[in-house]
Amino acid sequence: MKPESEKFFEVLKLLRKSKPLLASTEDIESGVIKRITKTNYNGLSSSQIIDFLFGWVYIGWVRRTLITASIVLVMVFIYQQSIILKRIDVLSRQPVVISKESTLSPADEIEKLLIVYKNSGRIFPSKTITISEREMKELLESVNELQIKYRDLKKLIEEDPELKKMIEKKLMENNRTKINL
Amino acid sequence: MKRRSLKLIVSLILMIIVSCNEPETVVTDYVHSDGSVTRKIEMKSIEGDIKKRFNISDIQVPFDSTWSVRDSIEINKKGDTTWIKRAVKQFKNINEINLAYKTDSGANKGMLRQAGFRKRFKWFNTEFRFSERIDKQLSFGYPVKDFLNSEELLYFYSPESLKHDKETGPDSLKFRALADSVKHKTDLWSTKNIVSEWIGAFSNLTAGKAGKDMTRESLKKHEDEFIKIVEANDKKFDSLWSEGIILKKLIGEENALKYKTEADSALGSVTKYFLVSFKDYSVRIVMPGKLIGTNGFIDSSHVLLWPVKSDFFMTEPYEMWAESKITNKWAWIVSGLFLAFVLSGVIRRVIKKD
Repeated sequence: MKPESEKFFEVLKLLRKSKPLLASTEDIESGVIKRITKTNYNGLSSSQIIDFLFGWVYIGWVRRTLITASIVLVMVFIYQQSIILKRIDVLSRQPVVISKESTLSPADEIEKLLIVYKNSGRIFPSKTITISEREMKELLESVNELQIKYRDLKKLIEEDPELKKMIEKKLMENNRTKINL
Repeated sequence: MKRRSLKLIVSLILMIIVSCNEPETVVTDYVHSDGSVTRKIEMKSIEGDIKKRFNISDIQVPFDSTWSVRDSIEINKKGDTTWIKRAVKQFKNINEINLAYKTDSGANKGMLRQAGFRKRFKWFNTEFRFSERIDKQLSFGYPVKDFLNSEELLYFYSPESLKHDKETGPDSLKFRALADSVKHKTDLWSTKNIVSEWIGAFSNLTAGKAGKDMTRESLKKHEDEFIKIVEANDKKFDSLWSEGIILKKLIGEENALKYKTEADSALGSVTKYFLVSFKDYSVRIVMPGKLIGTNGFIDSSHVLLWPVKSDFFMTEPYEMWAESKITNKWAWIVSGLFLAFVLSGVIRRVIKKD
């Protein structure tokens, strides 16, 4: 009787001799590589990224810190907003002065906006203007041009007393509204 | 030494100087978020030559040749003419305004005035505070709030137009009574201030020389008696004072003879404080962003308004302040994203645990 080990080596020898017949080993090889690559790519785009992003959830002190920070942020927001609302409410109950001291006319309002625009070099707050910056610049240029023409005209009138007198008289006669000299 | 009647001093303090010849002045500060301020002065006069009337010495706030000035005349439908002078200047920051106050040569150059600006980043909002402060004139005066209740105080600090509207409005009787009450109480306040200031100045001058009965504390104890003596003799105050009769009643015959010079000097310094020249005006402030707090009045064009009168800063500093905020939209977005991130992490953990 043959020993067990001898039988094992004989079977192994037989198996080695009878290799399977493969039509195209290269195709199989490339197929395997493709599948491996695909599997690796899918893992990186979803679960690995999410795991990386939310890895902190499993670290106790980081999790506690972030949750505390969120609660503090919400509390600060509520506190700030409630104080502001309270103060605005107090202001809204204040009496409005229909004032003689108030000397702003609609023309002054435009002037005020122009001053703010000129000096700040910024666009108006969205609630106060609906025209573009280009249109605004055109308006400013027009106003400046008008002011130059106005100064020239004023100079011309002031240099000629007769002309000044005549214009004043004419304006007074026509309509006693607003005169700027 | 030149002496002025106490009655005259009191009258000058109590008088509301609304002269037709005085131009009405409104100073408007447009405060920008970077701390720069555009200041506009508007002076209105109903009579006179505008060029002669609007001298630097007439203007209530610092003014010089660097301002851009525009003169105009307005004639209304009734034919009334108003001369208007408008001047505008851009200040880079409040330091420029404060420097201008220090070197002021205008009508109110004697007053110590200061502007303040504060910008605070508070994550969700950025808050701004702008203030204009005038230092008090008297060293030993009483705060007006010790004499007036809250309603009277509000009336006392109100713009003239608001007072006029209330006194001629539906509750005119109530407001006229309030006006009378305020006048009566402020009369007393003024007299007490004069006496208190005189005691302070007199005790400073006699410090180290006079006895214990002449210290500020001991004189203060008799303040009410002093006021009664002053009020009882106010018609002949000048002659009674120069004869030393009032002083004898106040501090006794011996002390009156001994410290007559100091008493006169003290009265002189009190007079100097009370007769300080000041031209009233109005201050308006336009803040950046949304207004959240102020101690001023809101006028019809939604601009803050304060009348500025010498009474307001006689015994206490007068501060006109306004606070506003600008919402930091980017901070709201960042905070929202952060909260969503933390919340989704916590939810994910709960789901995975289950």
